[in-house]
Amino acid sequence: MAAPVIQSELQCATCAGQCVYDPAVQALKCASCGNVTSLETADDDAAAEEFPFDPLASAPEAQVDFDSIVHRCETCGGSVTFVAQSLSTRCSYCDGPVVVETNDRGYEPMALIPFRVPEQDAQTLAQAWVRKRIAAPSDLAGVVAKARVAGLYVPFWTFDSDELIQYWASYRVRRNKRTETRQTSGVLRMRVDDMLVPASHHVTPLIRDGILHDFYPERLRPYRAGYLSGFAAEQHHQTLSEGLERKGNEKALLIRNRIKGHVNKSGVHNIRYHTDTSGIHYRRILLPVWILHYEYNGTAKKVVVCGIEGRAYGERPYSALKLAGYAAALTTLAVGLGLAWGAAGLI
Amino acid sequence: MFLSLAAPALAALALIAFGTLAGVPAVRKLIAVYEAKHELKQGSTGWLRSIGGWSIIAFWLMTTWFLATIIGDWGATGDLEGAIGRSWLRLRVLLEIAIAIMGED
Repeated sequence: MAAPVIQSELQCATCAGQCVYDPAVQALKCASCGNVTSLETADDDAAAEEFPFDPLASAPEAQVDFDSIVHRCETCGGSVTFVAQSLSTRCSYCDGPVVVETNDRGYEPMALIPFRVPEQDAQTLAQAWVRKRIAAPSDLAGVVAKARVAGLYVPFWTFDSDELIQYWASYRVRRNKRTETRQTSGVLRMRVDDMLVPASHHVTPLIRDGILHDFYPERLRPYRAGYLSGFAAEQHHQTLSEGLERKGNEKALLIRNRIKGHVNKSGVHNIRYHTDTSGIHYRRILLPVWILHYEYNGTAKKVVVCGIEGRAYGERPYSALKLAGYAAALTTLAVGLGLAWGAAGLI
Repeated sequence: MFLSLAAPALAALALIAFGTLAGVPAVRKLIAVYEAKHELKQGSTGWLRSIGGWSIIAFWLMTTWFLATIIGDWGATGDLEGAIGRSWLRLRVLLEIAIAIMGED
């Protein structure tokens, strides 16, 4: 059953004005009189609960109709919902034009982490990130300063699992001035704990790893319309098997890296493995992000700021002239060292 | 003396020009690796993908340095063929280093 948009929850008890979630006070705040209403409940701790995955379950998960305004983007295909009032006629992901649709069907999130970083701070953090870019065009900061951020709840999965991995690999050793390839094999255990997997193709794993360094399940709150008020949200549309497939792609790279560490030799290659996965638990959650859209030389780019801790990461252009300058400096250094080495008659 | 140094000097300038041109993608990768090391979650998949391929930076610098050693030897001795001949051992050591770098990347 979809979380109902309880209009009374979003209406100020004092003046009947519209309330929106204010990250600065972490509560609903009336846009008219400034009255603050807490959204905390006695069972907030239960939001961190994880759900076991049953591979033998025959019934598919039930979908729900979200009682909210759906805006579907005509540029990137993204769909975001707004609780209560519509906030924007542009897509939160790509800033493209959106069309209003009547219904949105998907899977109800189990929990969310509310926004903690206010819009103004997010704007400052995004601009600070852009200013720190090495070899960025000189006018980039000015272009980004004119852009605005959009607050959005993005769907994510969290996955837990236990992996029992059997592997085979090759590595290189130096022996009598020759390089030899040797074979090795082994078994290792790996615990995957609260692996965050984006359930939206708009947030790439790279952006996730840039903005979400730590995940604290105790910050999760039950899914309530009040937390979404004032922000856009993309709902969960992926099935659990689609989520597990995405997790599998991410996990494969981590397993290969763990095997390299377990072999602990140089030149590890040709890695093959088999893993037995057990104890899968998951959550469907929403995480808050601020997305800043800007356009540079006709190319749309974005900087994403974590709505929980304020970490920023995103897409950036390079200045060809500055790149060439750095390349020239390093080349001159290498050539200088090489000339001196050769002139000295060293081997 | 000046005339005998003119050819190695021109070769060094040409090497700087070609090295700069070839170095632009390598510098871009260097910046991406630096940013990944400082901004992405250590050990995450995004971090692993971003730092992968860093060997292009080492190959570019090693190749530039190696060609410069030949020019340096040529400038000092005035004997290009001899300088190329003496560079073979250096090249072998560099190839060993390159194989080791490829294994670590």
